Amino acid sequence: MTNQTSNKQLMKQVGLSKSIVRSNRRSKATSFLFVLPYLLLFGSFLFFPLIYGIYISFHDYNLLSKDHVFIGFENYIRIFTPDTALSSLFFEGLLKTFQFVIFSVPLLVIVGLGLALLLNSLPGKIRTFFRTVYFIPYAISVSVISIIFLWILDTNSGLLNNYLMQLGFDPVPWLTKQPFAWISLVLATVWWTIGFNMIIFINALNEVPEDMYEAASIDGASAWQKFYRITLPSIRPIMLFVVITSTIASFNVYGQPYLMTRGGPGDSTEVLLMGIVQQAFEQRELGSASAMAILMALIMIIVSVIQFKVSNATNKGGA
Amino acid sequence: MVRNKKWLISLLSVFLILVLAACSGNSGASGDDGEDTNGSDSSNSSDSGSTETQEISFWAPFSGADGPFMKKIVDDYNASQDDYQVDFQIVPQTDYYKTVDLSFNGGDNTPDVLIMHGDQIFTYSEKDILKPLDDILGGDVTAAQYHERGIEGATVNGEIYGLPLDIHPLMFYWNKDMFEAAGLDPEQPPTNREEFIEYAQKLTNADKNEYGYVVPTLWPQQFIFPTLVAQNGGELYTDGEVNFTAPEVVEALQFQRDLIAEYEVSPADVQQDGEVTLFLQGRNAMHLNGPWMLQQWVDAGMNFGVAPVPQLGTEQEAVFANSHNFVIPESVDDAKIDGILNFLRYVGDNTLAWAESGQAPAAKATYESDAFQEVNIQSPQVAKQFDDVVFSPDVENWGLAVDPLMEEINAALLGQSGVEEALQEAQDKASQSLEE
Repeated sequence: MTNQTSNKQLMKQVGLSKSIVRSNRRSKATSFLFVLPYLLLFGSFLFFPLIYGIYISFHDYNLLSKDHVFIGFENYIRIFTPDTALSSLFFEGLLKTFQFVIFSVPLLVIVGLGLALLLNSLPGKIRTFFRTVYFIPYAISVSVISIIFLWILDTNSGLLNNYLMQLGFDPVPWLTKQPFAWISLVLATVWWTIGFNMIIFINALNEVPEDMYEAASIDGASAWQKFYRITLPSIRPIMLFVVITSTIASFNVYGQPYLMTRGGPGDSTEVLLMGIVQQAFEQRELGSASAMAILMALIMIIVSVIQFKVSNATNKGGA
Repeated sequence: MVRNKKWLISLLSVFLILVLAACSGNSGASGDDGEDTNGSDSSNSSDSGSTETQEISFWAPFSGADGPFMKKIVDDYNASQDDYQVDFQIVPQTDYYKTVDLSFNGGDNTPDVLIMHGDQIFTYSEKDILKPLDDILGGDVTAAQYHERGIEGATVNGEIYGLPLDIHPLMFYWNKDMFEAAGLDPEQPPTNREEFIEYAQKLTNADKNEYGYVVPTLWPQQFIFPTLVAQNGGELYTDGEVNFTAPEVVEALQFQRDLIAEYEVSPADVQQDGEVTLFLQGRNAMHLNGPWMLQQWVDAGMNFGVAPVPQLGTEQEAVFANSHNFVIPESVDDAKIDGILNFLRYVGDNTLAWAESGQAPAAKATYESDAFQEVNIQSPQVAKQFDDVVFSPDVENWGLAVDPLMEEINAALLGQSGVEEALQEAQDKASQSLEE
């Protein structure tokens, strides 16, 4: 892959012949056709709803009212007016979502990479078996995951506490006391989604040229040095991808707290998306709910850009 | 190479056309749900007097075990006469009000008659979406044919907006095997607070992880807490204001906290559905929940009893309830009213099938009949509570007040905040939310 890109750069520097330009144009048209079906679906199911959401967020849009009055930035202003119910719904929800992101993303990345390294060191057939095993939870819906964990973690009748008590420990209130409630939600999330990150890391690890490791071995590098000096720098772009997608996925956390803790104990796990859904479909206030959702998307974009910049900066600094 | 590409492009265009066709096909399909309705709309308004069969579309959220019972009633009705054809559509419960709202918002594809929970009627009537029924009732169908509390639950500012299908109050369930093992009469549930606490203590054996009454900390507190407040003679909403710090309300929460901390008949740290799990496992002897739980106990093969909720409060018998009601959208054409009433009259006279689901119909013709007393062990017990039911207060966005209340009840029952400070917090949050 690195060879190919350097070849292209070389060709650019040398200057391309006209025939290549022409065939490039035609292949661009062909590749556009390849993208078109996705573009249509993207347009109708993501882009258009997004624009429509922005439009709604500028209106007083109660689902049951006939007129939806244009009110400009009023919904946004209400969110940023301190001590209103809407602003506390948004900012308290945001705070809890941030907590979840901070707790879950490092684990999702580290455990994903760890599993990938572990599987890669296994012999072929066993590797395929375990790769499937670890990936299966990812294919299960969040409702099923939540029910499984509700049963395992039940304070008074759950599997885990049963084992703990037999070993002589006190039962742990997994879902009804902090910090256990966060630990449980992160645990369930890691178990559920880790397969995806793992598969991506496995592919990235396979892309690292074998001869680099051989050369390092000849130079007498230790396993840790090989990991730190060869593996990590080689998979850096994939790492960035995994960090950003995991962050976005964790930002969108909804099903696990909604089904497992119902936002409790108290309101300590009531994440932002729960507030938005409540505002939209219990209060039927689509205008302010859309404004909250747009703000949430903006925050996610900002966070992703920061991650990208930071990663690039350290990349340059390192190189 | 070039030929390959042409081939590829033509393949792609075919694919694209297919995708586009599929897209437009989809949008057509999504409109399909209501196509019958639309078709009947036009045909009926033009020739309502003709002998041709009139179609009535009917929506309900009965996507659970109760669906087939309503389906049977509708099928029987359609078979019983030729003038009207009811087109029954079950909308999944979780999406029900979303779907209803969107159909009203779009203005087309709305049902002619639909099921609405009692606690939703206020909000919809305020938005002028529902037809007031006072002028329509009086002929074959009258309010007097239903239990008066049911009609009350569907009445806003003196106007009737719905006819009750059923009233579903909180119920009391107990495990007869555990009663027997504790030396209690398995046919004799407690009737007041003293008996309840006494029984609960006898039934509790914390060493064996067995409890007399496991206190839920989340759902169904939405039913339990208002029941206790009403039994204490209190109200959650008085004179246009939330009333969460009134002594009756504080007592309702303190009593539940005492069951955990003082009487120790419940474990601490009960999670969502934790009390249900323990009840199913035979380690929770007494349980408060809605009548919709019946099938779960039956499926689990439990030896259980069901009765009206004992008087756990200090003042009076009372029980919190919600209800299913038939409502008619304001937009429905007058030409259809006769058909809808004909259907509702039939349902009122023939709701025994609905009672088979464990619910208690609010139509007197059914709940006063002898057959109803025998229909199952639960429904007659549900109907016994009809006289004592209380409903959600008529407040727009009452959910905004209930949410903080439930969060604080959760924190207090988990022992993470004091009873009075929790209710003060809930009071502050709820009044702020309702003010805006």
